[in-house]
Amino acid sequence: MKKLFAILLCVLLVAALFVGCNNTDKPAETGSKDTNAPATNAPATNAPATDAPSGEKVTITYSYWGTPEEARDTQAILDKFNAENDHIFVELLAIPNEQYTTTLNSMAAGNQLPDCGIMNENGVLDFAADGLLADVSSMYEGASSMPLDSITFKSNGVPVAYSGANEALFLYYNKDMFDAANLAYPDARTPMSWDEFVNTAKLLTLDANGKNATDPDFDPNNIVQYGCNVDNWTWQLEVWALSNGGRWFSEDGSACTINSPEVAESIQKVADLYLVEHVAQYRDGLEDSGIQSTIAAGNVAMATGGAWNVGTCMNTVEFNYGVARLPVMKNEVTIVTGGPQVVFSQTKHLPEALEFIRWYSQIENNWGLVESGIWMPTLEEYYTNEELTHKWVDNPNFPPYDEYKAAVVDYTMEKSVSTCWYYVPHTNEFLEYLRSELGPVWTGDKTAAEALAGADAHLQEIFKGE
Amino acid sequence: MSKRSKKPRNALMRAENRTAYLCLIPSIIGLIFLTYVPLLEVFGLSFFSWKGNGFKGFTFVGLQNYVKLLTTDPYFKTSVAVTLYYTFMAVIGSMIYSLIIALLLNRKIPARGFWRAIFYLPYLLPAVAVYLGWNWLYNINYGLFNFILNRVFGLPRVGFVNDAKLVAPSLALVSVWLAGNLIVIFLAGLQNVPKTYLEAAEVDGANSWQRFWHITVPCMSPIIFYNLLMALITNLQVITPALALTKGGPGSSSRFVSYVMYQYAFESRKFGYAAAVSVMLFILIGIFTVILFATSKSWMFSQGGDD
Repeated sequence: MKKLFAILLCVLLVAALFVGCNNTDKPAETGSKDTNAPATNAPATNAPATDAPSGEKVTITYSYWGTPEEARDTQAILDKFNAENDHIFVELLAIPNEQYTTTLNSMAAGNQLPDCGIMNENGVLDFAADGLLADVSSMYEGASSMPLDSITFKSNGVPVAYSGANEALFLYYNKDMFDAANLAYPDARTPMSWDEFVNTAKLLTLDANGKNATDPDFDPNNIVQYGCNVDNWTWQLEVWALSNGGRWFSEDGSACTINSPEVAESIQKVADLYLVEHVAQYRDGLEDSGIQSTIAAGNVAMATGGAWNVGTCMNTVEFNYGVARLPVMKNEVTIVTGGPQVVFSQTKHLPEALEFIRWYSQIENNWGLVESGIWMPTLEEYYTNEELTHKWVDNPNFPPYDEYKAAVVDYTMEKSVSTCWYYVPHTNEFLEYLRSELGPVWTGDKTAAEALAGADAHLQEIFKGE
Repeated sequence: MSKRSKKPRNALMRAENRTAYLCLIPSIIGLIFLTYVPLLEVFGLSFFSWKGNGFKGFTFVGLQNYVKLLTTDPYFKTSVAVTLYYTFMAVIGSMIYSLIIALLLNRKIPARGFWRAIFYLPYLLPAVAVYLGWNWLYNINYGLFNFILNRVFGLPRVGFVNDAKLVAPSLALVSVWLAGNLIVIFLAGLQNVPKTYLEAAEVDGANSWQRFWHITVPCMSPIIFYNLLMALITNLQVITPALALTKGGPGSSSRFVSYVMYQYAFESRKFGYAAAVSVMLFILIGIFTVILFATSKSWMFSQGGDD
């Protein structure tokens, strides 16, 4: 009996190993094996044929994240494609934004990635380097206008992915609070200096007795209205480094220069809004909650945030809001970003996935997301050709045309630069470690300079991929 | 039983054994495929570097993952310290809390069943929901606790989960509140403390503390041991509050070992390295379990002998 039992166990174990190993033989049909130049050696037209027999409708999966507003608009776009197309059916795979990268990472490990999808910016170059992205160089072949260079992901200077949307950072403000304080609205074209911004924030910060933060009797322990919120969600801090004349990385992405006095000062200035000036709430920097829980919640007068908030959140507020350029420490600058539309190399339906992504990337097909204010167009002509700018902005989902054009459209065209993840790999790990090291800065337990000095050695290691 | 089953004396016994093994097969299969095979795979994976790109790109690196983990890793040592600190508070807290509640619920109080259900209820709630709920109590800007401190008593706000010194105790408190399962087991144990001993002691003039300390506690010691072991293992594996609430912060003050493993595996796609973290956690839990078993002989009171 015992022997029989032992044999049974052995058979089961061997079977388990066999089942496990069997999967490893599955070829990844289209993955580039050259980890250094992942996207340029296999033109889409030469892609291997799909597994599906001809004549049959191929179902592909498109993964995305987003708010319910984006979900609704995305599904509408897919419905349009599915109705028009007779050989491809696209299914939506919704993954919550905060779990998006981790879910894609686990799917990649299990060889179970969707056919295509939008990607978190911080994983794009790593996915490309590991051969997980298919070549999308043909996406804009023959197009009249190309996407902005600042939102094109490049590995060693070679484009590997194009952002599906453009999103710039700028300042939102509550016009009613400015009116109540008898203050002029921020100018849409000329930004405030940092000191002007802090002073304005002080005048807009009120305690329970109605005294503002410039009053000697102001009670910082009893604030009911805050003057500002400068989002300290880690990636957004890069804009303040640039504004203060520093850089996280050298312009060509070859060096990590984050441990510098300019960068430290820029972070300290953001932290001091809460710690010293008492014009902002404490924020832990864990996530994007800058707009929803601050200005949109109605207890903050000015807040920095991404362009998507116009469509996802500001259209629900019950006060008059305006938009302006970010305050300036030394240089006038904003950063732009946007998740790219990619085809994953683990797909078995490469031509169909590419066809869909190419279709989806045409602005007339994702117009719903642009029109609602969630996405800014990626094509340069929408920023330079006023007729197209009118088509985009002149609608009730946006603040007044002139204001949005000056504060957002022209600002993006004139002053925006790429967020670091467009040209630097390993930013997911980099930002996560930076976030954890900056935790004590927001609470005042460390200065930004101390935190950066302590974190620099490991940040350099992550940057080099060690 | 085990000695006898080696040499079944008659056909009936053999038939019984056969049935027993047959009935065990489903659970053994589950155990093998869902526990032991993955366990072996994790152990094996910890000697590889693997970026999780499909089933490709495994590079054998020997002990390199372990060497890096124990020398230059920026998170690991802190995470062990944080996990032990949290576990110490959570285990001691939940043992004391649940024993006290069990003692109270063991008395003849009105609506006893209702109170027992109330204290068990937290354990039945989804953990993530519990932590998010507590976050609304703890929140520095909008939380109920800070509302009471700040608006009612005019005290400065307290960063329960935002202050590096307070975050582990604050999270441990939630874990204590969640210890409904320990209460139930303690209650079952209390009901098995022989009444005759307690009555005899009462007749001899022992007060309630003496009866508790010299009779209830020794009789309960196997139950205490079991609860201690379970609480220890559960709390050493803590990850939910870091995932749901703090993301390991502020700084690294709630970066538990399981969370470090999660980050390396699912955020950085360093699956081999993450497997090494898992193995280290396994060893850590093993060490504490062995210590607990080794010391238990000196304080655990057993009425019966070995089978």
